[in-house]
Amino acid sequence: MRAVTLDDIRPCLEGIIPSMIATCAPDGTPNVAYLSQVYYADPRHVALSFQFFNKTRKNILANPHATLLLLHPQTSAYYRLQIRYLRTQTEGPLFESMRAQLAGIASHSGMADVFELKGSDIYEVLAIEAVPGMALPAPPPRSGLAGLVRRCSEQLARSTSLDAALDTVMTTLRDELGITHSMILLLDPTLQRLYTVASHGYPHSGVGSEIELGRGVIGMAARERTPVRITHMTNASRYNHAVRRALAQRQPGLVLDTEIPYPGLAQPQSQMAVPMLSAGKVLGVLFVESAEELRFSFEDEDALVVMAGHLGAATDLLRLDADEDAPSTAEASAPPCPVTQEQVQVRRYRSNNSIFLNDSYLIKGVAGAIFWKLLHDYQQRGRTDFSNRELRLDASIGLPEVVDNLEARLILLQRRLLEQPLPIRIEKTGRGQFRLCVGAGIELAESD
Amino acid sequence: MKNTSTGKTTGTTTGRPGLLSAEHIALIDSGVSTIVASRDAAHRPSLMRAVGASITPDGAQISVFLNRSASTQLLADLQASGHIAVVFSEPSTHRAVQVKASRVQLRDAAAADAPQLQRYLRAMEGQLEPIGFGPRYTRTMLSQEPADLVVLTFAPEQAFDQTPGPKAGASLAGTGGAA
Repeated sequence: MRAVTLDDIRPCLEGIIPSMIATCAPDGTPNVAYLSQVYYADPRHVALSFQFFNKTRKNILANPHATLLLLHPQTSAYYRLQIRYLRTQTEGPLFESMRAQLAGIASHSGMADVFELKGSDIYEVLAIEAVPGMALPAPPPRSGLAGLVRRCSEQLARSTSLDAALDTVMTTLRDELGITHSMILLLDPTLQRLYTVASHGYPHSGVGSEIELGRGVIGMAARERTPVRITHMTNASRYNHAVRRALAQRQPGLVLDTEIPYPGLAQPQSQMAVPMLSAGKVLGVLFVESAEELRFSFEDEDALVVMAGHLGAATDLLRLDADEDAPSTAEASAPPCPVTQEQVQVRRYRSNNSIFLNDSYLIKGVAGAIFWKLLHDYQQRGRTDFSNRELRLDASIGLPEVVDNLEARLILLQRRLLEQPLPIRIEKTGRGQFRLCVGAGIELAESD
Repeated sequence: MKNTSTGKTTGTTTGRPGLLSAEHIALIDSGVSTIVASRDAAHRPSLMRAVGASITPDGAQISVFLNRSASTQLLADLQASGHIAVVFSEPSTHRAVQVKASRVQLRDAAAADAPQLQRYLRAMEGQLEPIGFGPRYTRTMLSQEPADLVVLTFAPEQAFDQTPGPKAGASLAGTGGAA
């Protein structure tokens, strides 16, 4: 029979049932203790949380050999693992991922303060024994995950715009994985914060809302470039974005976009944030949450990591591609924008390029500067058709750097316009081309 | 494997009456999760979940039941060293106590043990049902073959509060003296 591997027993490493650890002191006295979770680090290593300097920890520092007893949460089968302590990590992806998860578990049990993670103790797995005894039949393996990831990947590969790529992932999360609440956030590399470009399941889309790098599960997943998955959590957890601290007002341009509320659930029980990487860079975060406990398993995490990887690659490629002007095919067929008698005052605040439509906040930053340029050209010269390339070359917009995702800014602007009632819209007319539709008289005003 | 150990006692020290508080005796007596550990000559630890446990009303003697086939190394270590550590933990509250001894008696389970094992099983079913694990799961987790069962009896020499938190591991000051 094939030896049991750590991957075979991943359901035991989800923190559903506490595990047990036996250690031995230098004088030969054994010790046995409960562990809230044994963490899967990689196929040959597990990690245990170091929270207190207890007997187990004293013992393993003196004698690195320990034995774990795991219980399968579905079959009730036991597994014994011979493990050897190697080292302790106090920073980095695994540590932050465990810390986030532990904070969720601890706040769940009402002991958030005492459960601060001091370190992640890494152990090598020397042997795994399936303990003889009765077991319930294992539930059938979850089928179709590879298939759905494949379909998502195929659609992403066929996507010719960032918009379509984002929609593909959002649709897969909703229709194929049955996830009720999801968001995609992209990284602003200059300001080092994430902005929401797509969401599903919330009363307000929250498109344009911002999160600091390193803050909460989303910010931590981006900063540490690691998936963060919390299976139990409460709104007491500092990882919950719904409980937000206002950033100290240093200068207007650095203030988070608090005009647009973060859309997340007020009382999530499960959350997962997966970084989108491409060529070693963080481009954004895929985020899902649920009011149910234990909603996202390691299998969901595996699927989201694959999807986030494909979306990252697509985002990166389409960013460059979107600047190539392609002949517009939609120009002739695009319906004219309906014109009303309405009058709209558009005000720009120069300090941070924030834009207000009839005193209602719309957008700020790079997307605000783009919008202002479009309206300006429209008013001065009656222009309605524009290309990504000209925006990139326009110094007045002040795109932070060449790597900035212009296409993402346009999507943000387009979606923010769709969410407000005044007849001003942006429509794509071809690759790297779009049209401004203004169905009202506009008056431009500026303030400092 | 069939019983080489009946009635055998290993180790040298004696138990300490009064070590455990009435509260801890009640916790152990109520039928809670029970994990047994020992170690070999090279100080490599071994462990297994017990399928039953009992304590005398004065707390002087504790018995735990193990499936031999699931505890081969643990039983070999217990016979060789006599060193035993057992943690009792209430699943619903995580209240826990650990007891240790350096001498243990092993015997085969007998028909007379059946009511004790039944009582333990019912208590564990009652503990696990509210936290989402039905009787079928609990009965599988604690399944046993009478012919495969061994009983370990020991007098606790040391006891430690094991409820999770910064005080976990604190030695309990029994009337028998400090640990």
